[in-house]
Amino acid sequence: MNKELEHRFVALLQENQNIVHKICRLYTNDSDAHNDLFQEITIQLWRAYPKFRGDSKFSTWMYRVALNTAITLYRKSKRSIKTQDFEGVSFKISSEPYDDSTEQQLKLMYSAVKDLNDIDKALVFLYLEDKNYREISETLGITEVNARVKMNRIKEKLRTNLNP
Amino acid sequence: MDELELLKQQWQTREQTLPHLSFDDIYKMLLKKSSSIVKWIFYISIAEIIFWSLLSFLLPESNTKFTDDIGLHTFLIAANVLNYLVFGFFIFLFYRNYRKISTTDSIKELMTNILRTRKTVKYFVIYNVANSALLIIGSNFYYYLNQDMVFRVMTEDYGIRNVSQVQFMNLFFLIQILFGIVIIGLVLLFYRVVYGILLRRLHKNYKDLEKIEV
Repeated sequence: MNKELEHRFVALLQENQNIVHKICRLYTNDSDAHNDLFQEITIQLWRAYPKFRGDSKFSTWMYRVALNTAITLYRKSKRSIKTQDFEGVSFKISSEPYDDSTEQQLKLMYSAVKDLNDIDKALVFLYLEDKNYREISETLGITEVNARVKMNRIKEKLRTNLNP
Repeated sequence: MDELELLKQQWQTREQTLPHLSFDDIYKMLLKKSSSIVKWIFYISIAEIIFWSLLSFLLPESNTKFTDDIGLHTFLIAANVLNYLVFGFFIFLFYRNYRKISTTDSIKELMTNILRTRKTVKYFVIYNVANSALLIIGSNFYYYLNQDMVFRVMTEDYGIRNVSQVQFMNLFFLIQILFGIVIIGLVLLFYRVVYGILLRRLHKNYKDLEKIEV
């Protein structure tokens, strides 16, 4: 393989690795599985890279391949036990004073999102990443209207799950 | 404020505590092998195609003398030629579907393409099972109509003695039926187990995705 291409790809992925980590964190429950999935996504991205034309942003293109891998291609290893990894969901608290109960709310919300099924999780993930409905619908392969309706239903579901 | 909106806000403004991989860490990953389900489906499908092709190559050869003597020669040759044409068609379809699988498609397209590839092989297997079943039933029907000849040929070819024709024919059909059931049962069990494990999650996700469209 072409060394220059390899270097360009690795540099781009390194720069955008947070997207992949966020997906791995949502779709796996421990660090072993996280690393496995990251690795598989990297391989799939690298395979698809020759087809990347550069007509869209590298990150936009990444969402598709990475979510496809997490939802469809990746085979969950049996050893991953379903545990809520609260350590993993802590958000870096910067200098500003921060309310403990807000932090708690965030953690609860995050674990509620984690409990959604694979497809709903993808929708919420793209929503959190501030993607518009056109992009969400194109990534999933559904219509924009259906994406919107589904997202509203998920919001409703999350709300009732958190405030029964 | 709504908790999801709060999460969204935090999602953007604060970085979660995420791992950070170096250039070398990622570079090393490029050399590793994929363990995706597509790879497994591809390998298992190829194994299936080879298995059934070998089976139809080997089985008729092993008892040609018996089938020749019994007068099924031309029929079996015709059946074989037809069989290979159908095999070729299936292999072409499988390869074309496999080539279509692309991770840059939408989630739904990718799932559809994987399931289509799988379906081609499933039909291939169904074709083979049905073909085997028909062949077993058909030839046994022929044997049943020509019992005298079967008994004569068998006793001559294999030197079977001290058995009455009725006893021999009963045993003969019993073995044929049991053998047929066992083989077909094993094949069906194998498919349930292998693809049940491999495709359970994909099927579930595909259904969830389809539900959105209703």
